[in-house]
Amino acid sequence: MTFAALADPTRRAILARLISGEISVTELAEPFRMSLPAVSKHLKVLERAGLIARSREAQWRPCQLNAGPLKEVADWMEHYRKFYEQSFDRLEIYLRGLKAEKGSKDLTQRKQQRKTQRDAEENKNVRAKRKK
Amino acid sequence: MSERNAKSNVGEHGVGRVLAMTRVFDAPRKAVFAAWIDPKQVAQWWGPTGFTSPVCELDARPGGAILIHMRGPDGTIYPMSGVYKEVVPPERIVFTASALDKDGKAMFENLNTVIFSERDGKTTVTLRVEVVKSSAVAEQYLAGMEIGWKLSLDRLDAFVTKN
Repeated sequence: MTFAALADPTRRAILARLISGEISVTELAEPFRMSLPAVSKHLKVLERAGLIARSREAQWRPCQLNAGPLKEVADWMEHYRKFYEQSFDRLEIYLRGLKAEKGSKDLTQRKQQRKTQRDAEENKNVRAKRKK
Repeated sequence: MSERNAKSNVGEHGVGRVLAMTRVFDAPRKAVFAAWIDPKQVAQWWGPTGFTSPVCELDARPGGAILIHMRGPDGTIYPMSGVYKEVVPPERIVFTASALDKDGKAMFENLNTVIFSERDGKTTVTLRVEVVKSSAVAEQYLAGMEIGWKLSLDRLDAFVTKN
């Protein structure tokens, strides 16, 4: 989620620095008085949100700003549309599951009813035989 | 409602913008409505793919509170809160929803209107989302880059437009 990735001031500052172009993690960490692992953690969040890309070619793995998701953030409605579209997909699956569950419950109930009926008939027959 | 919200045109920072969505579910209206207000059920489907809702508290009556903590696939928690404005079973729910920041402050507020209608055992859900408050957010998110933010904003703007 782009929004949550942007909710942290350090991450916003990191993005702001990346506007100038590619930069190494060490360089990025400098103004934040933060350990490299801490910066790496922030970078991972940004990377997952698709806000930055990290080159795998160069050994210093420079970070690059990725504008795509920022455009989406600029367009609020696109964000909500995605949220609800995926939620609706999940609701659909959930409701389908409910239906299947109810169906199998009904089946079990019907089976149980039939069994009770059979048992009752058998008992009746047994009693009838005894009378004879 | 403020004057700005009453206008149909798009306001500052996206306020007043409206999203409308419709989806048909193969289930009776009663079941679909319940899936929207019963916390146990909402927790099963609320949020994007791969998300769960470890906290899901819904007091589905006018004035009742909503608190959901969504958990992303990487374990990140995304809290959101809201208030029910209308709950009319099994026809209509109106509620506000806000995403919260790290300090639990609302980052923006939406007004959500959900309408349920049934036909041939299928339920059509119509959702309308309106951004009612977002000035602080847009400011904070898009612009609020603490380091040289004015310059950054202009450049970010240019960067986003260019790419």
